[in-house]
Amino acid sequence: MTDKPHLDEEALAELQDVMEDEFEVLIQTYVSDSRERIAALKRALEHDDADAFAKTAHSFKGSCINIGAPRLGELCLVAEQAGKSEDLTGADAIIQGIEEEFRTVSEMLGELLVR
Amino acid sequence: MSIQTRLADDGETLVISIEGRFDFSTHQAFRDAYEHGESGVHRYVVDLTDTTYLDSSALGMLLLLRDYAGGDSARISIENCNSDVRRILSISNFEQLFAIK
Amino acid sequence: MTDDSLRVLIADDSGTDRLILKRLLKRIGHEVLEAADGIEAVAIFQREQPDIVLLDALMPQMDGMEAARHIKALSGGRMVPLIFLTSLSEAEDLARCLEAGGDDFLTKPYNRVIIEAKIHAFGRMQRMHDTLSRQRDMIHDRNQHLLEEQTIAKRVFDNVAHTGCLDAPNIRYHASPLSIFNGDVLFASPRPDGGMLVFLGDFTGHGLPAAIGAMPVAEIFYGMASKGFGAADILKEINRKLGRILPTGRFCCGAMAEADFKLGQLKVWNGGLPELWLIGSQGEPVACSSRFLPLGILPPERFDSSMETLQARDGDYLLMMTDGLLERQNGEGELFGEAGVRRTFRERREAGHPFEALLEGVEAFSEGARESDDLTLFCLEVSGDTGLAALPESATSSALAGPSEWRCDYEIREQTLGEFSPLPLLLHICMEVPGLRARSGEIYTLLSEIYNNALEHGILALPSEWKHSPDGFEQYYAERQRRLKTVGDHFIRFSLHHTRKPWGGQLRVICEDSGPGFDFSRHPVLGGGERHADWPRYAGRGLFLLKRLTKDITFHGKGNRVEIVYDWKRPVAESDDGAATDPGKQRQ
Repeated sequence: MTDKPHLDEEALAELQDVMEDEFEVLIQTYVSDSRERIAALKRALEHDDADAFAKTAHSFKGSCINIGAPRLGELCLVAEQAGKSEDLTGADAIIQGIEEEFRTVSEMLGELLVR
Repeated sequence: MSIQTRLADDGETLVISIEGRFDFSTHQAFRDAYEHGESGVHRYVVDLTDTTYLDSSALGMLLLLRDYAGGDSARISIENCNSDVRRILSISNFEQLFAIK
Repeated sequence: MTDDSLRVLIADDSGTDRLILKRLLKRIGHEVLEAADGIEAVAIFQREQPDIVLLDALMPQMDGMEAARHIKALSGGRMVPLIFLTSLSEAEDLARCLEAGGDDFLTKPYNRVIIEAKIHAFGRMQRMHDTLSRQRDMIHDRNQHLLEEQTIAKRVFDNVAHTGCLDAPNIRYHASPLSIFNGDVLFASPRPDGGMLVFLGDFTGHGLPAAIGAMPVAEIFYGMASKGFGAADILKEINRKLGRILPTGRFCCGAMAEADFKLGQLKVWNGGLPELWLIGSQGEPVACSSRFLPLGILPPERFDSSMETLQARDGDYLLMMTDGLLERQNGEGELFGEAGVRRTFRERREAGHPFEALLEGVEAFSEGARESDDLTLFCLEVSGDTGLAALPESATSSALAGPSEWRCDYEIREQTLGEFSPLPLLLHICMEVPGLRARSGEIYTLLSEIYNNALEHGILALPSEWKHSPDGFEQYYAERQRRLKTVGDHFIRFSLHHTRKPWGGQLRVICEDSGPGFDFSRHPVLGGGERHADWPRYAGRGLFLLKRLTKDITFHGKGNRVEIVYDWKRPVAESDDGAATDPGKQRQ
């Protein structure tokens, strides 16, 4: 579906440089933020609320881009577009893809913190 | 409005040409024209060929130039006036102070 | 914190994005306030008054667009830059952000360099705006203050610039100020002999610098006019004073007229004003163009105050104007000009008042167009009866005590005869007598009649019948000037003697000249001899006037010495010591 990397190493290096000792807090914030976003996407789908689905995906996309997770960002964009076109038929599969990619990203970020 | 200066061929006459309206808005430019001029200037020509209008503050500026150039011993001629400009100069009888050509 | 430090409000529902942005801003020294949604953002904005707001476009509760509108409304006159944080990429969405009051965007992912540059630029813009606002307020305050001062100063200026006997029935004038002050001044004063002096001036420029010269000119004019000085002397003094106080390049275009209604004579001087006009009931209007440099330019020794003498009849009009009238433009930008003045006079109906005609003419010409300069128009009707007291009221109240028993001899001779009039001085001496000031008009007339007679007929031997025709009139005054230049060793000697009398006082004046005299015993009025059509001296109204005013007039010697006795009565209300007892004075 996308060939973007899971993590943008360069962007993360710069973030690490900028955030200094707050980098760990940032990663933790991102991870917990993202869990909430995924939950919100699921809620929107349950209520068949395409607008909320699009908005949540949009915000999620913003923080993914900022943190340096381009592939996850790309998946959020797909979700956002689906919401905007008010067609949530493939939304289940999209959420699954997002959850899968998120697991990968958080593992890799966790490794980054341990290093 | 614009003011041009040039040194005449004799090397001692400063020619100041005024284009457009010669009024209070030209005050600073007119002063700069003779105050920051070259040394060795002994005569002045105020060329009004392209001057469309002249008011009483311009008359005042001419008096300032006259003062600067030595008062009664100043050698200043005002040249090429159109009829409106000439009328204003002659109402004020400036021919008694300047050579008007 | 440094001077460049700003308080920045970040409103974003994503904690991750807020964290990154906050860190970036703190690193470059700014203070950060945080909000997680639009409602919180508006509340913090209201409470904390941050300098810059960074708003996420999409937020729960209240989105960025709406929050932006509230914040713009709350910031009032302050300039608060509003920057949208967005990963929006559609042009339409970006346009909506701008419509909501956004000043710029920051797109995700955040770029440190761009963020720093933008915040820095907006900070600078805001400081500039603040400085400008502060300066604007300061200028506004200063201007307000200046206007108040000018209003007060204008009241003073108006009291000075348009004063004297301008309300006399034979005077009409129009003054239209362009700015709060204009450079035009108009003065008129009665003369002690019943004539009138008028001065119209136009100072270069506008506003305070133009108005300030008016004060000394007014003082000189009224001071000297009331003492009996003529126009030529007053002009010399004004020129001297202005030359001293005005900076080079500033001057006063002016014209003066001295009217002698009894003689039907106008003396005029024009230095830099448009042509003056004498308009008679018959004949062509006569123009007097400017022949001299304006006042305040030439040093006293080179200043020429020669007056041009015109003959005028009762009912003639003298018009004076400043160049504002000539510079009025019509819709096409053409000037009214001297041509307009001439055209107006040519087209004027016989019965029309030339003042009205000229004002109407220029108004009709420039209809709808804005006044471009100060415009003053003045008209004096030559009239034997001005309805005026010879001196303004204020001048009569002084001199409660002074000399009443005195004599004085005064002689002027040779060149001085042509250069100096002794009349103001002699009048001044007489006016020191308590109670006599009220008679200054009569005294001046007596002195000037016998002085002019001694000078013009006794010494210069001018035939007075010349004055009976317009040509001769001009010839008379030209000849007078010419002969004065070669007057030789002649003299005129005055002897004044005042004594107090129970009813008031008696002034005896003897005037002797060095001329050849005349046979007064055969004079038709004096001696009762046969009528003589062209009697050389005292042929005109002068002698009748003297006889009417004085108790006694006698000629001595070979006719070159005249003696008059003038008795004057103290008003009933005045007590012996000369102090007035009218109720107004006692209260003082």
